[in-house]
Amino acid sequence: MKTTSSFPWALLLFVLPLLTAFIACQKIVSIDLNEAAPHIVIEGNITDQHDTTTVLISKTGTYFSSVINVPPVSHAIVTITDDLGKRDTLYETLNGTYESTTLKGLEGRRYSLKVVSEGNVYTAESSMPQKVTIDSLYTIPVRERDGDVGYDIYVMFKDPPERGNYYRIRPRVNSLPPDSINGARTFLYSDKLANGEEITERIGVRIRNGSQRAVVHVGDTITVDLLSIDQPTYEYYKTLATIRSSDQSATALSPANPNTNLSNGSLGYFSAYTYDSKQIILR
Amino acid sequence: MNSIGRIGILVMLIIAVRQDSDAAANMYTLSGIIKSSENGEALIGATVSTRGDRIIGATTNAYGFYSLTLVEGTYVVQMQLIGYATRMDTVVVDRNQVININLVPELIKEHEVVITGERTNANVTSTEMSANKLQIKDLKSIPVLGGENDILKTIQLLPGIKSAGEGNTGYYARGGRTDQNLIILDEAPVYNSSHALGFLSIFNSDAIKDVTVITGGIPAEYGGRLSSVLDIKTDDGNMKAFGAKGGIGLIDSRLTLQGPIVKDKGSFILSGRRTYADIFLHLSSDTTINKVRVYFYDLNAKGNYTLGDKDRIFISGYFGRDNFNYPSLFGFNWGNATATLRWNHIYGDKFFGNTSLIYSDYEYTNTATTGTTEFTINSGIRDVNGKLDFQYFLNSNNTIIFGLNTIYHTFIPGTLTSNTALSGNAQSVEHKFAVENAAYFSHEMAIVKGVKLNYGLRFATFTQLGPGTAFTYDASGDVIDSTVYGSGKKIITFTSLEPRISANFAVDDQSAVKASYTRTGQFLHLLSNSITTNPSDLWVPSTNNVKPQLADQIALGYFRNYDNNEYETSIEVYYKNMQNIIDYRNGADLQLNPNVESQLSYGRGWAYGAEFLVKRRIGAISGWLTYTWSHSKEQFAKINAGNAFPGRQDRTHDISLVIIYEPAGRWKYAATWVYYTGNAVTFPSGNYFVDGRLIPYYTERNGYRMPAYHRLDLALTYTFSERANLNVSLYNAYDRWNPYSISFQRDPNDLTKTQAVQTTIFPIIPSVTYNFNF
Repeated sequence: MKTTSSFPWALLLFVLPLLTAFIACQKIVSIDLNEAAPHIVIEGNITDQHDTTTVLISKTGTYFSSVINVPPVSHAIVTITDDLGKRDTLYETLNGTYESTTLKGLEGRRYSLKVVSEGNVYTAESSMPQKVTIDSLYTIPVRERDGDVGYDIYVMFKDPPERGNYYRIRPRVNSLPPDSINGARTFLYSDKLANGEEITERIGVRIRNGSQRAVVHVGDTITVDLLSIDQPTYEYYKTLATIRSSDQSATALSPANPNTNLSNGSLGYFSAYTYDSKQIILR
Repeated sequence: MNSIGRIGILVMLIIAVRQDSDAAANMYTLSGIIKSSENGEALIGATVSTRGDRIIGATTNAYGFYSLTLVEGTYVVQMQLIGYATRMDTVVVDRNQVININLVPELIKEHEVVITGERTNANVTSTEMSANKLQIKDLKSIPVLGGENDILKTIQLLPGIKSAGEGNTGYYARGGRTDQNLIILDEAPVYNSSHALGFLSIFNSDAIKDVTVITGGIPAEYGGRLSSVLDIKTDDGNMKAFGAKGGIGLIDSRLTLQGPIVKDKGSFILSGRRTYADIFLHLSSDTTINKVRVYFYDLNAKGNYTLGDKDRIFISGYFGRDNFNYPSLFGFNWGNATATLRWNHIYGDKFFGNTSLIYSDYEYTNTATTGTTEFTINSGIRDVNGKLDFQYFLNSNNTIIFGLNTIYHTFIPGTLTSNTALSGNAQSVEHKFAVENAAYFSHEMAIVKGVKLNYGLRFATFTQLGPGTAFTYDASGDVIDSTVYGSGKKIITFTSLEPRISANFAVDDQSAVKASYTRTGQFLHLLSNSITTNPSDLWVPSTNNVKPQLADQIALGYFRNYDNNEYETSIEVYYKNMQNIIDYRNGADLQLNPNVESQLSYGRGWAYGAEFLVKRRIGAISGWLTYTWSHSKEQFAKINAGNAFPGRQDRTHDISLVIIYEPAGRWKYAATWVYYTGNAVTFPSGNYFVDGRLIPYYTERNGYRMPAYHRLDLALTYTFSERANLNVSLYNAYDRWNPYSISFQRDPNDLTKTQAVQTTIFPIIPSVTYNFNF
């Protein structure tokens, strides 16, 4: 359900028909950007499943660098504590990757992350929400006028009666990361507009999408994770999505770094979440 | 109300004091209405003055009324207005007299009229500063996008007014924001002045009579916005004969009908326009495309009637709508409606009054369809407004104006409805109600020869009324308390006491130094999730969480005319301080949010600059050149780590050149050239990974600049006869690719690289318009 659609700027072409022949000329320009001093980035996740609890620590890199250059941060002390006082120290498995295989999250618990690196301390807290399961997952083939052919995947779930539930839907194709579906879209959902309802969210995947390469094929397995996230995580992803869309939209407000629950000016987030997965094969 | 009473008493005292000093001499008053002989339109800003050693003068007001008080004697009285032949009459002043005058347009040149060729130096002698009148004939000549004459685009060429972006009708006045501009159409505030998502203004220039823009020294009769006033008055309609005029352009067509109701007593004007792009969509064979509705239209209607010598009634209305519908997907509909009922009454030969009843409405509807469910979101603002304005022309050295204004505002922040049984989720953010009262007076006086002072005071109150809920938020924006108020109960009241002072120190006939101080308050705020004017922008009142915005501005100017007033020049410098300006928290959710006030962040802003103007209003070659150097800074505790940053309206350099060449004959040429420093924008200064995706890292707000903007527009008008002309124009004649936006993306040829892509929306664009007049 999307009730707050933003303006479809492309359709503006109809308003000023004489402009259609000219509108939106684009060219590559060279922009001189300041080189920012490297800044710490922490990305921490803990789930209710038997996943490895992982905290990634790195630093920001040069924006126009031809080689992606985001240096990992080693030798940090990373601990996660729950609200019962149970504490676990994560160990560095790869440069900048800190893991624990013994730590498993529980619904309703509150988790605290503490990172000590290069003499600075960064902390964050996140509550693991009640788990919400996917009631059903189904696909409907679509063939659109503009030549797109593919599927609409519908995810149905029941929002709990109390307000304040936040979701993130993470689709995957044959276990590949979500980037391969619909580009960079983040499927976020809050029960603000429809609390306690049976929710149906639609995700579009296309076999042929304009002139672009196929993103799915008949026979592919689509896995959909329904993540129940807390409000700060929702806030993080929502403000992150604003940055991404502001790359595209000429008229968006000034972009800023996403709102994080991490202290001491760190970029990134720490999220405790529950999730439910379902799979479907495209036919 | 107590304070309003006090101001009233003060006004009475001043009147009393001044009358005393004049009582000694034998004084008589000439008064009347000055109209155009051609169509009976009341003429605004015409001067009536004595000739000879001691020049005493008066100027007609917005309704063409003048009042000139002279010592008993015989005078040569001269009446003049640019574009009209100057008229001189010998008048024996031995009693109070009503003299109604018709001025003859210069083009007609009837032989009994004396053509003096003299030009006024009103720009030098008045206390008015930082103000510009747009000549309607210039408005019709200056080339604009798509061949559409557009007030809001044309005023952007004036000093102090800057375009809010390519092709945008939004504008910044002296470093203020777009919502700090008061736009009034026949006394009615207009809440959204754009059609077609900001590319065209809602004002049909065929129906416009007078346009004044004021960016500093704002007179006391105007209030409610911080930075500027755009006062638009529409034509009254031809009192003498029926007529039709119109135009056929690429974007829309216009038609205006006007004529007398009773000759020389009453007249009407009806003016409308509509776009027709969607008519071509109907022809499409695609069953969805041919149901797409994309159009706008607007209609101005006005009638007036003169009842005897002392009374005139006007009734006027505006109605406009934009429609943007894609079947079974979405729809956007929005528009303004205003209605004004006015009654002019001449209470005496020195005393003119106008009473207005005004209704303004702005409404926005967004529908979205998912499957069989259709959702509708409604928002808007509605005003009922009453105004009393009086002008007392005590004598040639003293004019007093005073008045009262009451507006009842209804704010509709958003209602969600759907056609299915999701009744539990139909949502309505509470309507909000407020009453805004103001009382003002100002006194323009000549203190000694060569020194004029205009001092005034505006006192405004704003009361948010129930029914409503007042929320209290903690630092993180969560509700910690709420109080419910019943219908008509006072929730909170704000007051604003606004001194307005301007002074003129004449150096000689041709030059003067002017200074002004203005305080302005603003109780309504526009929330927008975009930098351009957007129909979904939301007007919200001041509440317990949203403080009124306040601005103080000082301006100093030197005005000098050359060659017998043929050339006008001026230099003005200003400094403006703004309190309680609004920005948004990161990721603010403005739509359908009952706690929208928790999404806001408050700060301060300051702007300063210097404006240079050279202007020639008459002759075969006319036009102006203006250069502005300025800065506009903002500071918010929660944005940019509390450091000051340049506002989006910050422009270091801004140049506008307008040249109109009208040789004898059928051809007319016009050219404009603009140049301005690129907008302050936020670009990334690094990047990092989150969830396996590269994310830009921002270090400072508005720390970068877009490339400079410049553009040349040309227009050519060929007049077939008095009845028809053809206008050919070229927007962006040298095809400069000005940046509308710069975005960053992966290089499609080398995915490890990021590239900056600049989008230009208006390269060179030719257009043709045919105008007719019967």
